[in-house]
Amino acid sequence: MTDVRLSGVRKRFGRVEVIPSLDLEIEDGEFVVLVGPSGCGKSTLLRMIAGLEEIDAGELSIAGRRVNDLSPKERNIAMVFQSYALYPHMTVRDNMAFSLRLAKAEKAVVDEQIGRASGILGLAPLLDRLPRQLSGGQRQRVAMGRAIVRDPAVFLFDEPLSNLDAKLRVQMRAEIRGLHDRLKATTIYVTHDQVEAMTMADKIVVMREGRIEQVGRPMDLYARPANLFVATFLGSPEMNLLPARPAGSGFDLGADGRVAAPGAAAAAAQDLTLGVRPHQIALRPPEGADVTAAIVLVERTGAETVLTCELPSARRICVVAPGMADGRAGDRVGLAFDPAGLHCFDTKTGQALAA
Amino acid sequence: MRSRLSLPARLARGLFLAVMLAWSVGPILFIVMSSFKRQVDIFVYPPKLVFTPTIDNYLKLTTQWKGFFDAMGNSLIVALGATVLAGVVSFLGGYAYSRYRSRLTSWTAVYMIAVRVLPPIVVTLPLFPVVDRLGLGDTHILLVLLYATFWVSLNTMIMKNFFDQIPYELDEAAYVDGASEWQLVHRILARLTLQGMAAGSIFVFVFAWNEYLFAMIFTTNRAKTAPLILSELMGAVDGTEWGVLFAGVTLQLVPVVLLVTLARRYLIAGLAAGAVKG
Ligand SMILES: Nc1ncnc2c1ncn2[C@@H]1O[C@H](COP(=O)(O)OP(=O)(O)OP(=O)(O)O)[C@@H](O)[C@H]1O
Ligand SMILES: [Mg+2]
Repeated sequence: MTDVRLSGVRKRFGRVEVIPSLDLEIEDGEFVVLVGPSGCGKSTLLRMIAGLEEIDAGELSIAGRRVNDLSPKERNIAMVFQSYALYPHMTVRDNMAFSLRLAKAEKAVVDEQIGRASGILGLAPLLDRLPRQLSGGQRQRVAMGRAIVRDPAVFLFDEPLSNLDAKLRVQMRAEIRGLHDRLKATTIYVTHDQVEAMTMADKIVVMREGRIEQVGRPMDLYARPANLFVATFLGSPEMNLLPARPAGSGFDLGADGRVAAPGAAAAAAQDLTLGVRPHQIALRPPEGADVTAAIVLVERTGAETVLTCELPSARRICVVAPGMADGRAGDRVGLAFDPAGLHCFDTKTGQALAA
Repeated sequence: MRSRLSLPARLARGLFLAVMLAWSVGPILFIVMSSFKRQVDIFVYPPKLVFTPTIDNYLKLTTQWKGFFDAMGNSLIVALGATVLAGVVSFLGGYAYSRYRSRLTSWTAVYMIAVRVLPPIVVTLPLFPVVDRLGLGDTHILLVLLYATFWVSLNTMIMKNFFDQIPYELDEAAYVDGASEWQLVHRILARLTLQGMAAGSIFVFVFAWNEYLFAMIFTTNRAKTAPLILSELMGAVDGTEWGVLFAGVTLQLVPVVLLVTLARRYLIAGLAAGAVKG
């Protein structure tokens, strides 16, 4: 059982409080992704778990043991760094063997572990090369190999894919997730790429300014974001936000028209922000539509068409239509919002309201 | 690159190289050749480039100036000692300056450079009574300490530069892998700063091997170094035997030339202060 628990964990650098007070529970074998904008404290949190950064207050326990004051090597963790941090003067084999040799493992054990790791990662033909003789993707794999030879209780990754090109990133994404499914070790993975978070995680932790905004399974966060920040952070293109007021069985968008939402009558008469994902808006003929807009930009990727439209209030709204939708810049279109895809937020607090 | 230069530019460059070569190699060539000439041939004008070499000067050096070889032994001990001491101190110092940053370290860094700018004799002469009191006069230890100290400030900064080029993530990776600080330093960082160590060591060795002034002030007999004997050779009462002097100088030059030639790659890297390839 290797769960990781943080309670009341704090961190400050000088006068800046980077992590005010954070609680988080990570279950045994879980793949948890910490995601958030740059500078929100993801790396700091990960490095505190690794033992590379001191914990100012609160408690961190790994497998039920308080580890606040233990050095990295006593925590039974392995970490993959953004720059890979391979030892430049050592071959791939020696890079992977380093930790085992430090732990005075028998030669047979070292060989066996390297054989296993290089088999899993396809590194066997590269064992005698130096890091500078490897491509970016290969270095990435060596960094992972260095982590897995030790059979650590927890894997930590800090943006391990950000130095790779887009195609390789997609491939390594699947590889890392596949590796996790095979080894089933508790994994904490930091990224600022929400697609990585969505595709890889069992559980996503969305952070902002050192605080956790929401924790949950990817699709739960996507379907039920707890606040405006999470709503706009996850999903691409971003969720559209429109100021609205509840009106009868729907919402009044002011100059932009109204949205029918049969179940939504409950919300009190207050200013709120209506959120709707681009995929949950359908194109209609403009005649008789509740909301109409003018197309500003059409982008076709083949599988879908991304349209940027301008509402009468001059507000922009993004619509994603499946396949090769018709339409050109300047055309007028009607927009139909899927009632099931509407999200209501309190404009003042940003918190989600039951819709 | 070469092909882009115009003809006059290429001629100018050739000329420049020729002058530099004559400037730096000329005197050495003169000394080495003279050491194989008879006394009467050394200063004839025009100088003879073709002559029958003789090793008389070297024989005379071994028979009449035996002290020279003892002094070379002293030079070797002192130069090696200073190299090792300065190497260890500046390696560890460079590590500390690079990895343990604070207001104190950045302040002392400035101070170390400042000391290096003063004329060495100003820093050294006040040591005389101290040396006397400690009974260190005319000892190898003293010269080792002096020469090492003289270079530690600069070499520490060179080493700091080398350490600075190694990303801190590498340290962290080693810690996570279970390394102690000492294991990190000696199994990883030491290998990656070898060039700097080599360059720094050459500076110290060559300096200590050639140094004259301190050696003259602080040694009289037991720890006398080779340059002192060479100067005695020059001022011998029965007139200077130039051939013998040049033989001594030639022997004195050999380790320096060898070292610099063998390690020129490191030397240039050291002067450029550090480039660790990833
Ligand atoms: N050693 C440090 N000294 C002072 N401030 C620091 C230090 N390390 C991080 N910070 C600050 O702490 C905050 C969080 O940094 P952190 O590296 O954890 O962000 P991050 O979420 O990983 O961002 P990114 O996505 O850019 O990597 C930032 O504002 C950063 O400037
Ligand atoms: Mg980071």
